[in-house]
Amino acid sequence: MSLKDRNIWLLAPAVLLIALCFLYPVSWLLQRSVSEPVWGLQNYVTIFSKTIYLGVLWNTVAIAGATTILCALIGFPVAYSMVHSTPWVRKVLIFSVLIPFWTSILVRSFAWLVILQGGGVINDILLGIGLVAQPLDLVYNRLGVLIGMVQVLLPFMVFPLYSVMARIDGSYVKAATNLGATPVRAFFRVYLPLCFPGLATGAMLVFIIALGYFITPALLGGRGDIMIAQLIFERIDEFGDWPLASALAIVLLLGTGLLFLLINAFLKIRGGRI
Amino acid sequence: MGDTRKPTGISRRKLLATSLYASASVAALGIAGRPASASVDLEGREMVFASWGGSYQAAQETAYCIPFMDATGAFVIQDGPMNGSKLRTMVESGEPVWDVVDVTDTFLAANEALFEDLDFNIVDASPLDQTYVHKKGIGCIIWSYNVAFNTDVVGSNTPANWADVFDVEKFPGKRALRDRVYPMLEIALMADGVAKDDLYPLDVDRGFAKLDTIKEHAIWYTSNSAAQQLFVDGEVGLGVLLNGRTFDVHKKGAPVNLSWDQNIRSIDYLVIPQGAPNADVAQHFMNATIDAANQALMANLLAYAPCNPAAFGMIEPDVLPWLATTEANADKGVLINAEYWRENLAALTERWTEWKLS
Amino acid sequence: MFHSERFWGRLRGVINVLLVVYMLAPLVVTLVISFSSALYLTFPPPGFSLQWYEKMFDNPTWTRTLWTSVQILVPAAFFATVLGTAAALALSRMQSKWAVVIRSLLMAPLIIPVIITAAAIFGVFRIWGLYGTLTGLIIAHVILTLPFVLATVSANLAVFDKRLEDAAANCGAPPWTAFRRITLPLISPAVMSGMLFAMVISFDELIVSLFLSTPRVRPVTVQMWSNVKGDTDPTIAAIATVLFLFSLFALLIDGLARRRSGRAPGL
Repeated sequence: MSLKDRNIWLLAPAVLLIALCFLYPVSWLLQRSVSEPVWGLQNYVTIFSKTIYLGVLWNTVAIAGATTILCALIGFPVAYSMVHSTPWVRKVLIFSVLIPFWTSILVRSFAWLVILQGGGVINDILLGIGLVAQPLDLVYNRLGVLIGMVQVLLPFMVFPLYSVMARIDGSYVKAATNLGATPVRAFFRVYLPLCFPGLATGAMLVFIIALGYFITPALLGGRGDIMIAQLIFERIDEFGDWPLASALAIVLLLGTGLLFLLINAFLKIRGGRI
Repeated sequence: MGDTRKPTGISRRKLLATSLYASASVAALGIAGRPASASVDLEGREMVFASWGGSYQAAQETAYCIPFMDATGAFVIQDGPMNGSKLRTMVESGEPVWDVVDVTDTFLAANEALFEDLDFNIVDASPLDQTYVHKKGIGCIIWSYNVAFNTDVVGSNTPANWADVFDVEKFPGKRALRDRVYPMLEIALMADGVAKDDLYPLDVDRGFAKLDTIKEHAIWYTSNSAAQQLFVDGEVGLGVLLNGRTFDVHKKGAPVNLSWDQNIRSIDYLVIPQGAPNADVAQHFMNATIDAANQALMANLLAYAPCNPAAFGMIEPDVLPWLATTEANADKGVLINAEYWRENLAALTERWTEWKLS
Repeated sequence: MFHSERFWGRLRGVINVLLVVYMLAPLVVTLVISFSSALYLTFPPPGFSLQWYEKMFDNPTWTRTLWTSVQILVPAAFFATVLGTAAALALSRMQSKWAVVIRSLLMAPLIIPVIITAAAIFGVFRIWGLYGTLTGLIIAHVILTLPFVLATVSANLAVFDKRLEDAAANCGAPPWTAFRRITLPLISPAVMSGMLFAMVISFDELIVSLFLSTPRVRPVTVQMWSNVKGDTDPTIAAIATVLFLFSLFALLIDGLARRRSGRAPGL
């Protein structure tokens, strides 16, 4: 039927654009990971034989994973409130969630430093009311990185969740409670599974964007909070080491792809049971 | 096109160079400085100048580009901000957009193949201190890593040298240190007692061992703006900071000062990317950056040091103490060895990252 | 039951307030600093002054680069939304294995580190004459923002009941009408949030813009970043504040317009 044709026409512009202006130049660049200095896998051997690359890859996954979980924990109630509140509250929430984008990365990080550092706003308050005797270490460590990243990445969790939650028919949950389920049970067995597409999309977006972050971790993190994008940037910027940088990018790409295949497979198995 | 003009250009410039030294008056120098490049007529030509943006590039525009345009009739387009990856990509593609770029000494040393040789038939580097002349670049500013401190935090007990920065008993609390293997290895070795003139080749293991002692007492910064902030807010009492950055907040009233002991000097070079479309104009442009009056103007604007000794006579007295190349300050410090870093930067950067992770 | 509902309502209220504080705190700090009398960035500021606003409005570069950013983000978000939504619709209907491959391809710009994308695009765009043009930046931003639209719309289509559209088709509605009358209204929150993402990502994007911009075509992010070697003063805080007020204003106007026209509150 014409349905198939229609799909092709709907896909064509996006696919052509990405293939021509992204896939073609980027794959030309990435092939250098196997073609230079000589043909072979030497760049991949370097990555997997040196502790720094594996260590930084692990760091990256750990930071991105923690950011994703925090975004989900904060984003879920916020999205729920956006759906179930007055238009005015919804507007305030949407506005607040989008705020970080209006300030440049430098200003944003600087503002966080002012708030979090030893003589910063939070520590001043805590010391002032005598809640702590010593200033807390809120920044220049993993905590600082997470505070900064969650604030920027939250919209990518909230909006997919919001758009899915807004479509969920409240009568399902009512039906469950009427049939004797406790509200908590109804939430976990009925509401949460219905939100799942939004939650999964949000988590995917947050995780992937977090993988590529490096300016925020570099400014708010401690010495151990190095992320892979920073290493790739450094290899290119200072040394022009395209082959190794490309190999790192490919490892990142394949790793992310593999992770999502695993999650997908896992969900399919679980999905059968729900 | 320049072939017929070159000889006259040079002889006139040499003539003027001598007259520059002979004259003592700033005003006279200012006037005499102009016709030097005016011997070249570049009317209708353009070139693209790329640097680090902000007030720094604005000062370079005032000090180098405008005098060059006035003298030759060429037009200089301001571009940037300079970015190593973009520069590299454009040169590797064979057709750079930029004709003159501001790069650091370590970048130039590690990437010499990216740049054109200077044509010393056009470029007259003779007025310069030859330490700051590279076959591919003219030193435009000299800056230094210094022991810096917040006077509100450290009080009268001011740190004098790197040993003080590493002394966690004398100066408890956090210190701000650069998150980069250079100049941190040099700093660690000097803190450990290595004389400034015996630094190279660096004793890497000894340096890292010394760094271990301070690992948990430091905030490692990647951005100079962030570092400025650490000092201004008193988050750290002491540490390492660029002299220009220290001067910037000091003159604006922040309680931040520096010590010149064991300062580590670095050079920013102006270079011509390989294959630059207006390389011939760029070669002539170099003379405008060598000019003593222009270098003095740059120093007066931002306190970055000149490498043309004749410029010192035209620099305001309150700026002089902040410059890395005055005899007094230069004697106390050491020039970073870009040749050493060309050979070792890649391997040591890897080791630095590994060290940070451990 | 009533009691517990009120408890959950209160809890939600508390969470909302905490969220607003968390999200706005850095902006409040920025706002305060933008009125600082100190010549360097410091908090709390020693006194009040409007010097940074004067400095900002005195320098035409800021308004010019802001305008450039708007000229990029509006078409980029528009094309990303149209192309991304179309692709999401097609992919949701495809059963073949190719759908996974195509989806991964369209999502790839999100995963490849931006520095690699930037360098690669820079290379071909120079050959194609797109370097330093608005068109070039718009195309690049469409590539970078399209995955966001695709992902958000796809999530919504996953909970979309296709029988609705089939029903419309069975009743004799042509595909476009069925889409416009049935599908689009149902997925519009997702399309809107996708577009919103596209706009803010485009506005916030730095690395690709850094590669593709020239003095003539320069987005505001590049201008803000372009202060690496000079000094840092509160001008950047003033810019952030102006942008904030501008978006607040847009939100209020939008709210008033909706109230007057009686339209349903959307995003």
